[in-house]
Amino acid sequence: MKDRPGFLAYGLLTAFLLGSLFPLYWSFLSGSRTQEEMSSSNPPLLPGGHFFDNASRVLDTVPFWKAMGNSLLVSGVTATSVVFFCTLAGFAFAKFSFRGRTTLLVFVIATMAVPTQLGVVPLFIVMSKLGWTGTMWSVMVPWLVTAFGVFFMRQYLVDAVPDELVEAARMDGCSTFRTFWNVGLPAARPAAAILWLFTFMQVWTDFFWPLIALNSDNPTLQIVLNQLQSGYFKDYSLVLAGTTLATIPLLVLFAFTGRQFVSGIMQGAVKG
Amino acid sequence: MSQRASTAVRAGQGSDPLPGPGAPDGRVRLTLRQRLSRWDAKFSPYLYVSPFFVVFLLVGLFPLAYTAYVSLYEWNLIGGQGDYIGLENYRRVLENPYFLKSVVNTFSIFVLSSIPQIVIALALAGLLNAPLRGRSFWRMGVLVPFVVAPVAVAIIFGNLFGDRYGVFNEMLGWIGVGPIQWHVDRLASHVAIATMVNWRWTGYNALILLAAMQAVPRELYESAALDGAGRIRQFFSVTVPMIRPTLLFVIVTSTIGGLQIFAEPRLFDETMARNGGSDRQFSTVTMLVYDFGWRLRDLGKASATAWLLFLIVVAIALLNYALTRRLTGQGEKR
Amino acid sequence: MALLTASLAACASDDGGSDDGTVELTIATFNEFGYEDLIEEWNADNPDIQVTQKKVGTWDDAKENLYTKLASGSGLSDIEAIEGDAMPAIMAESDAFVDLTDSELDGRWLDWKAEAATNGDGQMIGYATDAGPEGICYRSDLLKKAGMPTERDEVAKLWTTWDDYFAEGEKFVAAVPGTAWYDSSQGTSQAMLNQVANPFESDDNTIDVENPELKEVWEAVTGNVNLSTRLSQWGDDWIASFQNDGFATMACPGWMLGVVEGNAKGVEGWDFADVFPGGGGNWGGSFLTVPSQSEHPEEAKEFAAWITAPEQQVRAFEAIGAFPSQVDALDAPEVLEASNAFFNDAPVGEILASRAEAITVQPYKGPKYSDILQAFQAAVTRVDDGSNEPDESWRTFLSDVEQLG
Repeated sequence: MKDRPGFLAYGLLTAFLLGSLFPLYWSFLSGSRTQEEMSSSNPPLLPGGHFFDNASRVLDTVPFWKAMGNSLLVSGVTATSVVFFCTLAGFAFAKFSFRGRTTLLVFVIATMAVPTQLGVVPLFIVMSKLGWTGTMWSVMVPWLVTAFGVFFMRQYLVDAVPDELVEAARMDGCSTFRTFWNVGLPAARPAAAILWLFTFMQVWTDFFWPLIALNSDNPTLQIVLNQLQSGYFKDYSLVLAGTTLATIPLLVLFAFTGRQFVSGIMQGAVKG
Repeated sequence: MSQRASTAVRAGQGSDPLPGPGAPDGRVRLTLRQRLSRWDAKFSPYLYVSPFFVVFLLVGLFPLAYTAYVSLYEWNLIGGQGDYIGLENYRRVLENPYFLKSVVNTFSIFVLSSIPQIVIALALAGLLNAPLRGRSFWRMGVLVPFVVAPVAVAIIFGNLFGDRYGVFNEMLGWIGVGPIQWHVDRLASHVAIATMVNWRWTGYNALILLAAMQAVPRELYESAALDGAGRIRQFFSVTVPMIRPTLLFVIVTSTIGGLQIFAEPRLFDETMARNGGSDRQFSTVTMLVYDFGWRLRDLGKASATAWLLFLIVVAIALLNYALTRRLTGQGEKR
Repeated sequence: MALLTASLAACASDDGGSDDGTVELTIATFNEFGYEDLIEEWNADNPDIQVTQKKVGTWDDAKENLYTKLASGSGLSDIEAIEGDAMPAIMAESDAFVDLTDSELDGRWLDWKAEAATNGDGQMIGYATDAGPEGICYRSDLLKKAGMPTERDEVAKLWTTWDDYFAEGEKFVAAVPGTAWYDSSQGTSQAMLNQVANPFESDDNTIDVENPELKEVWEAVTGNVNLSTRLSQWGDDWIASFQNDGFATMACPGWMLGVVEGNAKGVEGWDFADVFPGGGGNWGGSFLTVPSQSEHPEEAKEFAAWITAPEQQVRAFEAIGAFPSQVDALDAPEVLEASNAFFNDAPVGEILASRAEAITVQPYKGPKYSDILQAFQAAVTRVDDGSNEPDESWRTFLSDVEQLG
């Protein structure tokens, strides 16, 4: 693996990245121009100077900061909880032997096949019986541990942690939890970083359930972005300035986790 | 239950598998510490997997049972419960001309999205696994589509795939290809929707595969290199076999997700009823669930459709699992 | 778990009503109702009934929320705004809503508006907010190109019937190739349907879609696709067509003026004529309802009655141009004197008031009205976009309606 990837690899990656980034760029472009400029038959290709105008219109129209705070809270708590509980469960499924293990795992996977569209009515009933509607609990609790996460960590840890290591820990008299803590968790870091990021983003972009479960005076970001669309026509510049603003914290997060992610991988490689 | 699990359980119940130093043959008096450790090994795993089941009991089980119950009744979304009609809702759904059409559309979009998505994701993960300059930039870059708000996705792809004034049709015009009716032609609409799906999810799957690739021990590559295997060869003979469980995970989850596809076709739709095009060119099964439930307010039929979809997804996922295991040898080491 | 629940419950917000006897009401709206200032004023004047507004972007999203909570039996706002075409389906489940009948309010609304909110038992379920009397929006520059009159008074004389309108369209498309006469077959068919007494259902709610009036609309619209842009109304291409000289005229209820202005920003030549083929017609307009779930139905009713009073709706008209549905509001000077710079300074208030008076027929809308309308629009679109021949599309429409049962 000494030879570094060549021109072709960078070329392919660049092409892929351009495709990935283009819509985000377009969002920013539209958000930095006026509606008139964007809807002309020859729309400009470089950002204009109206981003701050549009952004401040966004901030005037909707409770953006409150929604941002709520989104950060909900996404952060959910992602952290998912990572902890799913890694624990995934490790147990992958490395501990217990009666009914396979059956339980198949059950976990099968729950992913349940279509969610209809669940909304009964879920809302449950939430209102618990008195959680309108509170952040209603949007966090359903996703504190996900089947996706459990299955993912299980599949990852099955190979990432050699059985011998678990056996050795047991020989040393480690409790199962210590085994998880000392062996499972470090090995899980790359996958855990990804799971954290994915869950965070998934919750961040979720719209339908928060719309139902929360009040619009205590909203998450996607709800206020949706409010930007009201009016007789879609003001693309306004909406896209709003979505760009809502994406910035995620990009900051990327820069941060990106580094974590790489160091996590190093650690995993050492253990493996 | 796997062989190993049952052995362990037997071991836990019978003779001590771990005779401590100085322990005599036959039955031994366990110290408190040993006893705790045994209890720990036997019961703690249940504790570790239990949070999932607690949350499921709280927010998953009731909806599932409720949906099953509703599917056996006449049930107006607003008016509520009507007469018990047994499996009548299921019969009505199966006889509805749009059910079959939606199933076919769902599979078509699924094939057009999942297969290229997994192949490209695998290749992309392979590239990202190489010692690149600025690797965290590349890695996070491919994930960007996933953070763009759905509202923006709808606006942007609407502009790209417009039938008359869309960017893609304009570009096709430059090379003399006639405009494609993205929202009218059935196959074209599936391609457009699959493009949206692939755009959003390929990088995501690539990172999942990449995480697994990172855990492959370096020594394996070194010895493969010593054997004269090139980069491509190493990828297929070392990387792919070593990440099999995660590959299986990606295939199973994208099968489940693909068969439940809803957001993209709905965002793509421009008709008033938003149920998959003027002639249901791209109506999917979940859109049909939604159409019955939230447009026509027939919760009974919607629930029956949801259960039918659930059965289809489980069947396909199982088939997929079996096939994948077969094709990749044992699938997972045991 | 008990501990968790207890600690979480402490965070739950209280739903209306606090210790000091103040009643807290919520009103859920979608799109724009122009109520922001009005609610502030109410809150200042009524310290014991405090109102907060919950806004959602579109009716589609508001409907999902409304239906989910009706089905779940809790969680709705004290006052829920409902889009006009969904009213019949809502009224079919009157139990879920409070009877708002109030003899003091007799005669407040235009007759057909009041009827549209009154169920078979004579209960008024909703208070009308705005109305959508229709005129014709047109591009004077494009008409000029075709050698047609451009002044709004002259344009108003060009047609009285739909046949005249289509005939003028033939002249126009012959003279200006590449530009359609009207924006979409969907919009045109909707406008025509708004003048049919029983488009889909007879007065006893029996579904009848094979009546001659409906057939006439169908044949007129599908027979004149060459006059249409053949685009899906509200779709991205339709929106883009405003910037591309896509069409010259369109059926314009009052609220559509805002749609045109927004989508056609920067385009010059738009005007608004006091005429509508086939007489008057109403398209759209919403209602305020009070769900039975509300814990404060009396206060909610009081507030709904206040905000839908002529004085308040006139101010909503001033704020966002939602044309009032209240009789007394129609001759209010604020309405009559309103003009619109984008539409060549057309006296839109005066024109819309005159269009509202021209409305003689209001279609009967049974509980399946909206469902059948959507199937009908899909059928029109299938012919428009070329996926079906008219006969085939009509057969699919009949089968769709049959499925509705």
